[in-house]
Amino acid sequence: MTSTPRTKAAPPDLWDPVVRISHWGLAVIVVANAVVTRGGSPWHVWLGWIGMTLLVLRLVWGVLGPTEARFTAFPLNPRAALAHLGRLASGHVDHYPSHNPAGALMIYAFWACLAVVIATGLVMTGGRTPMRVAADQAAVASGDWSELVTEGAGETDETQGGDLVEEMHGVAANLILMLAILHVAGVAVESRAMGRNLVAPMLSGLRAKRPPR
Amino acid sequence: MTAKLSGISKRRQPAALAAFFLLQTMAAVFFVGDAASEMILEPASAHSVTEAMVALALVLGMVFGGLALRRTLERLRTQEAALAVASGALVDVIRAQFSAWGLTSAESDVAFLALKGLDVAELSELRGSAQGTIRAQLTKVYAKAGVSNRAQFAALFVEDLLGSGPVQSAVDPLAATSQARSR
Repeated sequence: MTSTPRTKAAPPDLWDPVVRISHWGLAVIVVANAVVTRGGSPWHVWLGWIGMTLLVLRLVWGVLGPTEARFTAFPLNPRAALAHLGRLASGHVDHYPSHNPAGALMIYAFWACLAVVIATGLVMTGGRTPMRVAADQAAVASGDWSELVTEGAGETDETQGGDLVEEMHGVAANLILMLAILHVAGVAVESRAMGRNLVAPMLSGLRAKRPPR
Repeated sequence: MTAKLSGISKRRQPAALAAFFLLQTMAAVFFVGDAASEMILEPASAHSVTEAMVALALVLGMVFGGLALRRTLERLRTQEAALAVASGALVDVIRAQFSAWGLTSAESDVAFLALKGLDVAELSELRGSAQGTIRAQLTKVYAKAGVSNRAQFAALFVEDLLGSGPVQSAVDPLAATSQARSR
């Protein structure tokens, strides 16, 4: 781990590609699966599996990645998050080398909700891959119901639990959308208070160069 | 232009490695997910052993891909930091040389801007003084540095950057040909 001689209290000018890919990929997938695709359709399942990939990618990166992408750089600390928001409300702006404590809390909340949505989604589809879901639905559509027989055994006692799982899937998904709105508002407020564009480092890294010291 | 180009190529390598890392993670997740659901449907088949081995290989590939990307990102960062230090050091070298020549503060300001490529008209506008004054100051700077024009003046510092290059000209074919051409 080579220590970089950058100033300590500055987040990166550009987040690394893995952080950016997982961030925007998950944002697009969440919106697409909430608004565009029909629940249970092959497209919905495809996007869900890609979302699972991106979440796994980001979690692996939280251990393997560069300093500011690692979990240790933005620990889950609700008390620090509240303190940060309190200072922000009083017009006091703190700078952190990675995500600020409130942002960190938001990230862990996102990941927890995504994990719930993905897990319940897997339960609802019986853990079938999107290719298999598409094949099964095509078979059923063509009138061949035998594809459904293998799962018939567990079907009777699943219906009651199935409703609960479906409920959780929907609630967690709506929670993600509400968190996303809060997240966008938070980024806008912090950008304004800090006087620096927080979106650019997550997007392309293109922003006015820091004046030479 | 060159800075922009090198910036792009600098980003290309991590981008390719990140795409590779993403592909490996996707392969691992889809394969492990498929193998796991198969294992639930029909457990302990002969080819589940093979599938476990493939899954292990994919997960290991993902981890090593991630580590390679991390190393590349850290190396790029170290290089950028070294470059910043080097360009900062050049400014220090120039400042020290100016004071060794005994330039006044106005003269060293003008000399510094002249090194950055501003012409007399731009200098006079920036400094808010007449072009004649700027010319006089530049002439004094050249005289103190022992050169006769701006190109020679700038060359003094380029020479510092090139280090011991000309000394090696006897063994360095590139420097030898460029000397032959200038002759």
